[in-house]
Amino acid sequence: MIDPLIWRATRAIFLRELRSELRNRQALNAVALFAICSVVTVSLGLGPLMPSADVALVHAAFLWIVLLFAAFTALARVFVVEEEQRTAAALRLAAPPIAVYLGKLCFNLVLLLGLTILVTILAIVMLHIRVGASDLLIGMLLSGSLALVAGTTLVAAIIARSSSRGALFAVLSLPILIPMLVTAVRGTAMALAGVNWERGMAPIQTLLAYAVAMFVTSLFLFATVWE
Amino acid sequence: MALRKGDGLKIFLGLWIAAVIYTMFLVVPQYVGLGDAGRIIIVHVPVAWITSAAFCLSAIYSIIYLWKRNPASDVAAVAAAEVGTLYCIFATITGSIFAEVVWGTFWNWDPRETSILVLLLIYAAYFALRSSVDDSERRRRLAAVYNIFAAVTMPFLLFVAPRVADSTLHPNCAFLQGSKCDGISLSLTGAKIGQLGDVVIEFKSLVKTGTLTHATIEVRMPGMKNIATLVPSLDGDGKPADRPEFPGQQFRMVLLEADATAGTIRVNMQAPGTNLLSNPRTLWVFLASNLGFLALAFWLYKIRRTILQVQLTLTPGEINI
Amino acid sequence: MQALELTHITLDYGRRRVLHDLSLQVTTGQVVVVTGSNGSGKSTLLRVIAGLQRPTAGAVWCIADTVRYAPLQMRHAIGWMAPDLMLYRELTGHENLRFFADVRGFTITDTAIAELLCEVGLEGRGGDLLATYSSGMTHRLRYAYALLHQPALLLLDEPSVMLDATGHDLLARVVARQRQHGMTIIATNDERERRFADVLVALEVAI
Repeated sequence: MIDPLIWRATRAIFLRELRSELRNRQALNAVALFAICSVVTVSLGLGPLMPSADVALVHAAFLWIVLLFAAFTALARVFVVEEEQRTAAALRLAAPPIAVYLGKLCFNLVLLLGLTILVTILAIVMLHIRVGASDLLIGMLLSGSLALVAGTTLVAAIIARSSSRGALFAVLSLPILIPMLVTAVRGTAMALAGVNWERGMAPIQTLLAYAVAMFVTSLFLFATVWE
Repeated sequence: MALRKGDGLKIFLGLWIAAVIYTMFLVVPQYVGLGDAGRIIIVHVPVAWITSAAFCLSAIYSIIYLWKRNPASDVAAVAAAEVGTLYCIFATITGSIFAEVVWGTFWNWDPRETSILVLLLIYAAYFALRSSVDDSERRRRLAAVYNIFAAVTMPFLLFVAPRVADSTLHPNCAFLQGSKCDGISLSLTGAKIGQLGDVVIEFKSLVKTGTLTHATIEVRMPGMKNIATLVPSLDGDGKPADRPEFPGQQFRMVLLEADATAGTIRVNMQAPGTNLLSNPRTLWVFLASNLGFLALAFWLYKIRRTILQVQLTLTPGEINI
Repeated sequence: MQALELTHITLDYGRRRVLHDLSLQVTTGQVVVVTGSNGSGKSTLLRVIAGLQRPTAGAVWCIADTVRYAPLQMRHAIGWMAPDLMLYRELTGHENLRFFADVRGFTITDTAIAELLCEVGLEGRGGDLLATYSSGMTHRLRYAYALLHQPALLLLDEPSVMLDATGHDLLARVVARQRQHGMTIIATNDERERRFADVLVALEVAI
């Protein structure tokens, strides 16, 4: 882990991914448009909700559903593109597996954080979501994104090596993400309702624990998937 | 020709499970408050337990596969997953029936229902993954990785999500909102008013009639104007006798201890089904049921494992399991 | 890494056996040429040696200072190229080589990369995106990818396919240099390339 060569390779893979996506922006645009469309569709159908006991929960659930499906379209790309453009072999022979995992994980994290910011701001504006505790909301979205990325990146590597890629990603990811989603939705609802940090810490801790558990397991298993 | 030993065991197993089901319907006493529907737990609970056990077994064989890379371990993991799926479906169905009869809904998103559904989804995903990888070595490897990865999420699903989610209908004090596992103690001379969840209760009087001890308790439910009065009781052996239902809810009030001279009681709220196994006859049938379904699971597992193993030796790399 | 050892390599694709009980020893300075008709498993053999594919039975050992390593542990000492090797289309040739040097963890100057590009016949084209390369130019960049880290074991699959007349000269130069400090394995059916061989392995289509 402390090996500087690993960090250097990780950094190179992350930057390569960023550069490729920025030069060929179709995929990024498609994902962003998908997220925007889902927010717009929901706000058209739903309109601003009347304040009630459940409104925070409804908003939180909606936010995470949009993020989840945006993640399903976006996060598998890092590995699927390598297999589709057949560059995986070149990378496999050159890079340490851990660095491949870490580099792709970092890229996915940046991508998802970007999506989260976009979706959250749009949703707050279009759905008139009232944010009770904005600092707690940021903490919740941050730890939720970490958990989501840690839970899906290994699955992305798995489905990239199967024959039916796109459809399988959602099928394999969903059962793994359910504990994290339940916690994130409840936690986000609490943040929207405006509870204090002491109560809000419990979901954040759960999300971080989930992220760490999935991350460590992925580190152990990734080389087996990638070989 | 005399029956071989294996055949004898199979017939014995069949008779055993038949006997369990017979006693489940006709011998085991009806549980107060659950009615005949309560009998289904004699099947439901063992099946649900064995589902989890099969899932663990499958994950363990997946770990062994990644370690030793021998196809036989993968075959065992698949066989365990298949038996697990079968039991998982059965547990889901029996659980839904029970939920409909007792709680009035087939599905309630209570944490344990969620976890068994997620288990079913994981199995489905596991088999979907297997069928979409062509190369047999890679198929085994990826499926084993997924199996282990999914197993790591189970503790979160079982222990963490329930803490966050709102309520459960499953009869277990740790999961029941408002229930403190030991109940709360009230005294006529000291603290008369207590709270169980959202419900405020006030201890009014304690009367001993014959062997039964009756406590009169006033209950204020949130959102209800009227005050209800419940009279739970305790029999001569110190066991709860009458467990009145909270008005408009599925939960019951139970008197755990009562001291008529000191004027103190200990009460708690219970979901229907608690203490079901305190009846010795029920307990024995329950244990027998566990044993029977475990043996059945093991037998199915061995059959599937043998068949898959034979397929593997006949057509190496060809089977699409 | 001084030697390569293949012990009883067998590889099945489903029911079809591609490689059957193949054993081979290569030491520094040797050039091995693998020949065989289409579908005889030449490319597969090279992929197995590179560590891209796991054999059904048998093992590949890279021997360095009498210790045996699996090919993937010897990543820094193996260079592989094949017609189906793809590099990143959104990067330039120069950026591709820079990326693979970073990922392999060694330092290389821009001048050294430019020299390498020049040597494989891509002089002045290092700044162009790979998407604009012709198939012959892409193939020349594959040489650069395989030679970048000066591997002790060079695996060349169909090295002169898609190349023009100067392509053979490039291959001859590469093989001559590799002969001085390492091992070379070439999978080909080209008569001129067969002449490089110290050891000739002829694969047949297994039934």
